[in-house]
Amino acid sequence: MRKSVVITGIGMVTPLGKNPSEILSGIEAGRSAADRPTNFYATPFACPVCAEIKDFQPQRYLSESKMIRLMNRDAQLAVAAAHLALMDAGVKPGEIYLPEEIGLFGATGLAGLPLAEVVPLIKASADDNGNFDPVRFGQMGLRAVSPILSFKILSNMPLCFVSICENIQGPNGIYTPWEGQGAQAIETAIRALESGDVACALTGGCDVKTHELAFLSLEQHGLFASWQQNHSGILPGEGAVFLVMETADRAIARGARMYAQVSGFSLRTHQLGESRTDTFGEVFKGLSLPSEPLSALVAADNGDVSSGKDEHQALSSRKITASTVIHPKKQAGDVFAAAAGLQVGLAAILASRCGGRVLANCFGHGSEQAAFVLEKP
Amino acid sequence: MKHRVVITGLGLCTPLGRSAEEFWGNLLAGHSGIGRISLFDTSSLPVRIGGEVKDFKSGELLRTFTEAENEKDRKIWLELDAAAGAIADSNLPHGALQTAALFVGVSLETFFLEDVTHMAHAPKASQNFMRQVLDQEPRRRLQTPLDRLTQILGNHYSLNHGRYTNCSACAAGAQVIGEAFRRVRDGTTAVALAGASDSTLNPLALGGFSLLQILSTENDRPEKACRPFDATRQGTVLAEGAAFVVMETLEHAHRRGARIYAEVLGYGSSLDAYRVTDPEPNGRGAVLSMTKAIRDAGLQPENIACINAHGTGTPKNDVAETLAIKQALGAHARAIPVTANKSMTGHMIATCGALEAIASAMTLFTRKVPPTINRACPDSQCDLDYVVEGCRDFEGRTVLSNSFGFGGQNASLVFGRLDP
Repeated sequence: MRKSVVITGIGMVTPLGKNPSEILSGIEAGRSAADRPTNFYATPFACPVCAEIKDFQPQRYLSESKMIRLMNRDAQLAVAAAHLALMDAGVKPGEIYLPEEIGLFGATGLAGLPLAEVVPLIKASADDNGNFDPVRFGQMGLRAVSPILSFKILSNMPLCFVSICENIQGPNGIYTPWEGQGAQAIETAIRALESGDVACALTGGCDVKTHELAFLSLEQHGLFASWQQNHSGILPGEGAVFLVMETADRAIARGARMYAQVSGFSLRTHQLGESRTDTFGEVFKGLSLPSEPLSALVAADNGDVSSGKDEHQALSSRKITASTVIHPKKQAGDVFAAAAGLQVGLAAILASRCGGRVLANCFGHGSEQAAFVLEKP
Repeated sequence: MKHRVVITGLGLCTPLGRSAEEFWGNLLAGHSGIGRISLFDTSSLPVRIGGEVKDFKSGELLRTFTEAENEKDRKIWLELDAAAGAIADSNLPHGALQTAALFVGVSLETFFLEDVTHMAHAPKASQNFMRQVLDQEPRRRLQTPLDRLTQILGNHYSLNHGRYTNCSACAAGAQVIGEAFRRVRDGTTAVALAGASDSTLNPLALGGFSLLQILSTENDRPEKACRPFDATRQGTVLAEGAAFVVMETLEHAHRRGARIYAEVLGYGSSLDAYRVTDPEPNGRGAVLSMTKAIRDAGLQPENIACINAHGTGTPKNDVAETLAIKQALGAHARAIPVTANKSMTGHMIATCGALEAIASAMTLFTRKVPPTINRACPDSQCDLDYVVEGCRDFEGRTVLSNSFGFGGQNASLVFGRLDP
């Protein structure tokens, strides 16, 4: 028999703050983190704004300065959010759960090479005609980069740093690079708990889309098309979100506070030739939702005009309504690989506060689309 | 209800061959796939050797995969070659693919430096860089998202029952097979295509790994450079390649009369939680992943008949893995053969776990254990029964395959022989 899975800890490091309840209140009050980028000039790009975390200090969460230097910003945010989630749940690996009983399932975004590290390498590797010269690359280009560059571009590193900092030794999986993969990480955590493969799971993701190479990738992948056509669109963000999940029986046995129980999830691959409205509709179909209104909906709408419309149509065609609807990505920023964690985490708080069923839509770029249903235990 | 899961299709694209038969023949014969890198000029790099897929031309595949026409990332083409091979080998009807899940392991994004270098001498290069990249014709992407491999393959074969892109470094190939196994076993899907692809034989990746000082610099004798469990081992050798398997429930395979290479019995994964640079010296995480996989298979340590080791040829890995095998299997560890394919294939990073899963399946299917070449000077700390005298006949019924990732991710798989 499959076990019931509950969320007992939430850790968020976002442009709207680090306290999950305050982040939710801020979203409900209409706060927005949208601003001009402070680290680069956005003028080359169609999108002029992003959502940055202004006051993040990794040393508050990590005492080893040497390790901080090995990390890119994604990893620093991940380590902070994971720590906050475990603290919130009252779980310290080695105490309530053995380190090997705790699983780690997360998502990371596109590799974010800092431009400052790339340009010297490129310059040093060019011949007199401006062409790439592998010999110069070996002679001078490599000297222009830090030996620890690999740690900053390997996509699994942020989660590995989390495991090291929190001493998590259990089953694991790291997925990349969009929101759908973040949802898959959460799905895998739920399945691992249901099957008894882990007793506790830390799941979520991290992503940083507030630097110029990220903007370049987003524009090259057509994600700024709405900005080009409508002068409005997605709000690239940065952040990390982790959730602590346990089986209900273990959580009850240790007297843990339970935000919400996972009462359903549905994942669907967007197929060639299928409209995104149909894909989202198929996701909802997999949830077997009741006909009465939900107590809340965490919408996936990220400001992109067409995807907002697709989600709205899919909800309408399935006659899904909710008393409360929030759009976190429009205000806190779209954090891609971390977005599913944010959506589900906010839904858990709403379920805890409002009761009833809360739907968290995890729709985004890429083929994988998902939704989760949470309710108060 | 738990289903039994079997492997019914093998496909690969490696320095030792582009079919299971060719690869297996070379592996059993102890041939090395390591040589001088010819893909680009490595003369100024400290490492100039690697395991290249020779004479591989993506053009051959273009007729089939027209949608990949503009893809420059070599690992995409290696992947398509291997995956197409696995699907063809399985003889799966197209209808079965449409309800199949796809699991792809990858590690490092490829940055195409050659596309942007010409902008480097422009005035104020840093400030103008982005606009120049965006404006250049034809438009080129500086980086390829890792899920591009999953998308092209998934779309081409209509693999629509979930597509997973796992980036767990050197453990990715084993993890995707483990995850696919779990989902087929629990009935989430009846069929899965799982595997991995990687090519680190490009300037930035080879240069970056060189800086970490984990690679052998024995450029003058490439075929001898990777020496797992040898006392004089210096480091590993990077290689490129892809490996895919088709997995399905036993009843599905029987229903359609499929050839079965091996049964997947168990999967375990763990984290070292130690350092991103080094394996935990006592092999703690490796013990965990092996123990979990054996337990998941419903077996005892003494039921394991052979180990396909991670065996990278780095000083630290081989000692830690030997220690871990001895802890996980106890006294039984010394009674079974251990082999390290990387002595011949090199280290394909994300792909190695999938490739070694294929080697494990072939060990059971052909009843032969391939050798570990280049172990001329035994290391007293590596004191197991490494198969060094050439390939060995094998009547055992199980093989345990290990993959340990950079950053501390570990994965182990247990395979079993399924008699007709």
